[in-house]
Amino acid sequence: MNARQRNNVNVIGAGSKTIVFAHGFGCDQNMWRFVWPAFADGYRIVLFDHVGCGNSDLQAYDDGKYATLDGYAEDVVEICRALGVSGGVFVGHSVSAMIGVLAARRAADLFDDIVMVCPSPRYIDDAGYTGGFAEAQIHELLDFLDANHMGWSQTLAPVIMGRPDRPELAEELTNSFCSTDPEIAKKFARVTFLSDNRADLSAVTARCLVLQCSEDVIAPQCVGEYVHRQLPNSEFVLLQATGHCPNLSAPEETVAAMKAFLGGGNS
Amino acid sequence: MSERFAKDLDEIDDLEDLFEHAPCGYVSAGVDGRIIKVNATFAGWLRLDKADLIGRRFQDLLNIVGKIYYETHFAPLLRMQGFFHEVALDLVGADGTKLPVLVNAVERRDEAGNMRFTRITIFNASDRRQYERDLLEARRAAETANANLLELNRTLEDRVAEAVEARVRSEEALHQAQKMEAIGQLTGGIAHDFNNMLAIILSALNLLERRLAKGEDVAPLLAAARESAHRAASLVQRLLAFSRRQPLAPEPLCPNDMVRDMSELLRHTLGEAVSLEAVLAGGLWHVHADRNLLENAIVNLAVNARDAMPAGGRLTIETANCHLDDAYAAEHAIKAGQYVMVAVTDTGTGMTEETMQKAFDPFFTTKEVGKGTGLGLSQVFGFVKQSNGHIKIYSELGHGTTIKLYLPRFYGTASAPAPKASSDVTLPSGREVILLVDDDERMLSLTASMLRDLGYGVVETARGAEALDKLQAHPEIELLFTDVVMPQMNGPELAKEALRRRPGLRVLFTSGYTRNAAVHNGILNPAMNLLQKPATVEQLARKVRAALDDELDPHRHR
Repeated sequence: MNARQRNNVNVIGAGSKTIVFAHGFGCDQNMWRFVWPAFADGYRIVLFDHVGCGNSDLQAYDDGKYATLDGYAEDVVEICRALGVSGGVFVGHSVSAMIGVLAARRAADLFDDIVMVCPSPRYIDDAGYTGGFAEAQIHELLDFLDANHMGWSQTLAPVIMGRPDRPELAEELTNSFCSTDPEIAKKFARVTFLSDNRADLSAVTARCLVLQCSEDVIAPQCVGEYVHRQLPNSEFVLLQATGHCPNLSAPEETVAAMKAFLGGGNS
Repeated sequence: MSERFAKDLDEIDDLEDLFEHAPCGYVSAGVDGRIIKVNATFAGWLRLDKADLIGRRFQDLLNIVGKIYYETHFAPLLRMQGFFHEVALDLVGADGTKLPVLVNAVERRDEAGNMRFTRITIFNASDRRQYERDLLEARRAAETANANLLELNRTLEDRVAEAVEARVRSEEALHQAQKMEAIGQLTGGIAHDFNNMLAIILSALNLLERRLAKGEDVAPLLAAARESAHRAASLVQRLLAFSRRQPLAPEPLCPNDMVRDMSELLRHTLGEAVSLEAVLAGGLWHVHADRNLLENAIVNLAVNARDAMPAGGRLTIETANCHLDDAYAAEHAIKAGQYVMVAVTDTGTGMTEETMQKAFDPFFTTKEVGKGTGLGLSQVFGFVKQSNGHIKIYSELGHGTTIKLYLPRFYGTASAPAPKASSDVTLPSGREVILLVDDDERMLSLTASMLRDLGYGVVETARGAEALDKLQAHPEIELLFTDVVMPQMNGPELAKEALRRRPGLRVLFTSGYTRNAAVHNGILNPAMNLLQKPATVEQLARKVRAALDDELDPHRHR
């Protein structure tokens, strides 16, 4: 299976410059549905699902490879190589902002610009660093996922078993967005929330944009500011939007900030 | 106030009451996600005033896990599909207590598609979460059990086979050890008697020599010597049979026959101070048991009885048919019904209550160190239980002991016992020519004259190589009758070469070894014919005739 099939890659448009959108923990490429159309005129758009999410090939999930974010970064590089991406734009939401950083370290020629939407290089507080979570809270998260409550799997499982008692529900769930394999989601959560990529930030040569939301419980403002400080070449924009997903809750504001950063030349 | 207006007010009150106190929480959030309305039920769950909740976001009320999942999964889902259903989340109340809930959310939009607010409905799921935990726990347990079961099934057959084999091996070893112990007990008495028999034979031979010299009648002396020699031979045969190692095999048995067959052996064992009496019931039923083990049991009981009578006494072996009724059977955890009893009674020291209690325990013994292993009675007990029987001790201190074995009656037909050889019967004979080979010259000439008496023609030789020459020279030879163990060329080697030269030749071996010993040592194929030495004329006659008549399928050693 090649990288395009493995990661359910979708390519739209034929602009000379490529813009690669990477979804974060939770959800899939649907995350960008309100954002990418704004760039379709001037760019070649690349959308994909991380392995274990959306319509990716679940069989390709490998415990060893995906035990660190590097495994996901390797996939990004493979996808870009397969599509001949060079000097493009990488847009990463949440944990994928760091996956983009790792991909750029592996292949600096791929991206001239990196847009980080609600990034966090480390979620757990550390000496002299505020990540937003105490270690115990992250372990509470992982324990809860291990307990496997049915509320998750029924809502998020990509393949919904028929429920004869409530056929309308099965229909709705089959059409649900953000599908994810519950078992893989647990492992992805572990990798994401235990990651620490602070040391990788200073090596990024690409021009970066840090998009920070207000009241983001997952990536608080101080974390976005930290990322901005550590990156050699970055801009920081604090959005009006609250929460962790401005690409969904405030797509216009998000698009505007991105276009301002990328400049009018391509749009 | 008009009546209509009052009625409307009532209805509004009623709906307001339903909203506030419904058994589920209601929350409305504005376009910016902030709470604009909440019902009393929900505020009560969180131990907060309704006013405190206005302006907050629903996800702020969740525990850390809920916050993360709400932001990363459920908020996107709501935004994209307009609703989510039955999401399991934990609310955290003002006092820090957690409340498991199921949450539904749906976006309400106006006709133009603009979002007006989000309606969130919350159900208390404390019980359901507990059921889920129990269910998941039960499923995990079932999966583990299933995996264990599969593993068990996979290895069960092997493990059972292994365990059974180990058990059989150790039982066989124990039985053999026990038999050897009994042999040890027996040989003392037997050696003495055997010596006496030899003495009779020797003195008879001395007398014979003298009387022959004088030309007197020697017939009574010959008879005495022959009888004594026969008794000695039979005694040795019994000992050999008894010590034989062979697999356990229950068969229909008549205890009377067994006691009768063993009585001579027992008389020697018990010594002169103990008199043996057998009281055998007429019409005794058969039992289904291993012959060796039953013999062993009787010897054990007899030896114990003897040891209980150091100053001598009377030992009685008694058999009887009996019926164990329901009450007795229930009390002793056995099946009611018909049993054959074998009782061994002595007039010895008897047992104390304490000794009786422990009598069947392995390694319990009242004998001096070195005199007994303490395994005898425990093994008898094991044998009886294996045979679905019952064992009972009656004892009076100073008067004696009776041990009764009860073995279930066998209802099938016992195979007819081998016809007893009788000297009145005409011996099988013939006129065929036999090639006789034995390196013991005296045995050679003795056997040759016995065969000639029976009418056979005999060509004899003491060496294998010579035998082959004679076979060549005498085409009329129909049977090769050879000793097994001989120097240079042994019996089976000779037979093989002879058969190569004369296919169809009948072969009969003879040996001082028991069949099992010969087979064990690899000398003899189990299928081969063997006449055990020493043999009576009668045994010789039957075996030779049978070999010639091919009844015994004489040489299937290839």
